[in-house]
Amino acid sequence: MKVYDGSQSGQTTQAKPERVKVGIAEYEVTTDGAALTTSGLGSCIGVALHDPQANAAGLVHVMLPNAEGKEGSRAKFADTGVEALVEAMEAAGANRSSMVAKLAGGSDMLDFSANGATIGSRNATQVKETLESFSIPIEGEDVGGDHGRSLRLESVTGDLVIKSANREENRI
Amino acid sequence: MKVDIESLGTFNKLAHEGAEAATASLTQMTGIDATVDVTKITLVNREEVGEELEGRNFAGVQFGFAGALEGETVLLFDAESVGTITDALMPGMDESMAESGVKEIGNIMMSGFIDGWADYLEATIDHSPPAYIEGAGSSVIPEPPTDAEYDQAFVFKSEIEWVGESVNFYIYMLPEYDPLAGLMADHAANQDDAIPIDKLGVFNQMTTQGTEKAADNVEMMTGIPTESEVSRISFAPIEDVPKQIGDDTYVGTVVEFTGVPSGFLMVLFDEQSAVNVAEALMPTESPGEGLTDQHKSAIEELGNIMTSGFVDGWANVLQTSVEHTPPKLVHDMGRSIMDPLAAQVGQHQEHAFIIDSEMKTDEIDFRSEIHALPNEQELRQALEDLRVDRADETDADVEKIFEQ
Repeated sequence: MKVYDGSQSGQTTQAKPERVKVGIAEYEVTTDGAALTTSGLGSCIGVALHDPQANAAGLVHVMLPNAEGKEGSRAKFADTGVEALVEAMEAAGANRSSMVAKLAGGSDMLDFSANGATIGSRNATQVKETLESFSIPIEGEDVGGDHGRSLRLESVTGDLVIKSANREENRI
Repeated sequence: MKVDIESLGTFNKLAHEGAEAATASLTQMTGIDATVDVTKITLVNREEVGEELEGRNFAGVQFGFAGALEGETVLLFDAESVGTITDALMPGMDESMAESGVKEIGNIMMSGFIDGWADYLEATIDHSPPAYIEGAGSSVIPEPPTDAEYDQAFVFKSEIEWVGESVNFYIYMLPEYDPLAGLMADHAANQDDAIPIDKLGVFNQMTTQGTEKAADNVEMMTGIPTESEVSRISFAPIEDVPKQIGDDTYVGTVVEFTGVPSGFLMVLFDEQSAVNVAEALMPTESPGEGLTDQHKSAIEELGNIMTSGFVDGWANVLQTSVEHTPPKLVHDMGRSIMDPLAAQVGQHQEHAFIIDSEMKTDEIDFRSEIHALPNEQELRQALEDLRVDRADETDADVEKIFEQ
């Protein structure tokens, strides 16, 4: 995990990153206004947290509903991933009482599950439950459906911009 | 020799950490912020190593290494990014200095990479001084080690993305077979999980046969001569699976197959290829612009027969029956097509084997990729059964297996 707090700028004259990519099962937090992006969400979910007071924003890209003792990075699972992101936000100076959340993804596309809920919907349910347990309100969501999504979190405003292959851009 | 899943996982992690160390050196020297995008172990036919580099120019460094592991490794920068990297290293550097810039940075990165391996293995790995290389496509990749016994080579490949720039660079490592096999055996935790290495080779060739059969079906249906091009079997952490496909929009079909092994199979076309191949299938010109519904239904039909061809190729060799669901048509971002399939497989496993193949034709601009994501345990079972049932024929003589 990298925190872009500007502290590493002393060594070089390079501009701060304007866009930070978040891979699958990864999270990033920024306090310097960078845009956080993640791409190719199918049944995966991108959870964005924003604390306007601390000027901090974070994005996690989770793949499966719950860790249940499985191996892998915390950010791979909805429950531990949201938890890890909240902690990282706090480490960057944010406060959970002033955080708001937005989520996107959790599509039902290509789910061959014979019965029961799809992975996409189980991911969404788990994300919401975990956010609820932290008392972090959900300000916007774009979940479900049968299409993929790519996200850009504009960390200054907290706007989450959702792009899909065959439809209009959605800003929540 | 057998490889077990855990040792493949360990070696994958090792390659990933080596690539991280190399990337950290780059960031420290230049201030360029880069991240390791994909690391995978691929078992590939010797002559196909580096096919994915075709059509681009590269500059980089090459090392030989010896000790606990022996072989060759290269670090490659996209030709276009050489200037940016050397400029970051030494602003205003003359173009003629680019070579020494690449050499210096390559040297430092690759020392990090190889030291990472040696530390983990608690062994010594020496490497030769870096040699500067430049060239087009796969010509920059060293010859895979020759081994009369095996047609395939293990390739450790990392793609590193440079944040904020659309530039990738690559590390390829091509170890000699025997020392690698020995190390893998030493690190094998559980022989029950092990897959005999030559069976993986057979499986790779089955994939080649499957792809050829799929290509034949395309040819039969469209009348356009179609060649199967690349086929390989890779091993990667489940979260890296969707990254095997680009972010571009693809059109194609997905099926779930059942039997031993079960899993998912995708047939994907880039949008232009989809239009071109669909036109070839249609009796009259399609009205309308771009990809129409008629194109899509032609693709659905084509995806269906390609899937059947591919799956039949497997079932033939395994002497099992592999069934598949009717194809689901997809038209979406490549990664988001792969993502739900990886998630479904990922409910039961940490790592996945990914089978990739490509086909193309010279007659029209057309390219297609087939990706299969089998259940790991069942794949192991299928390979095990192959040994039991057809022990006399599995000494990598796939030709013979197919003579039914």
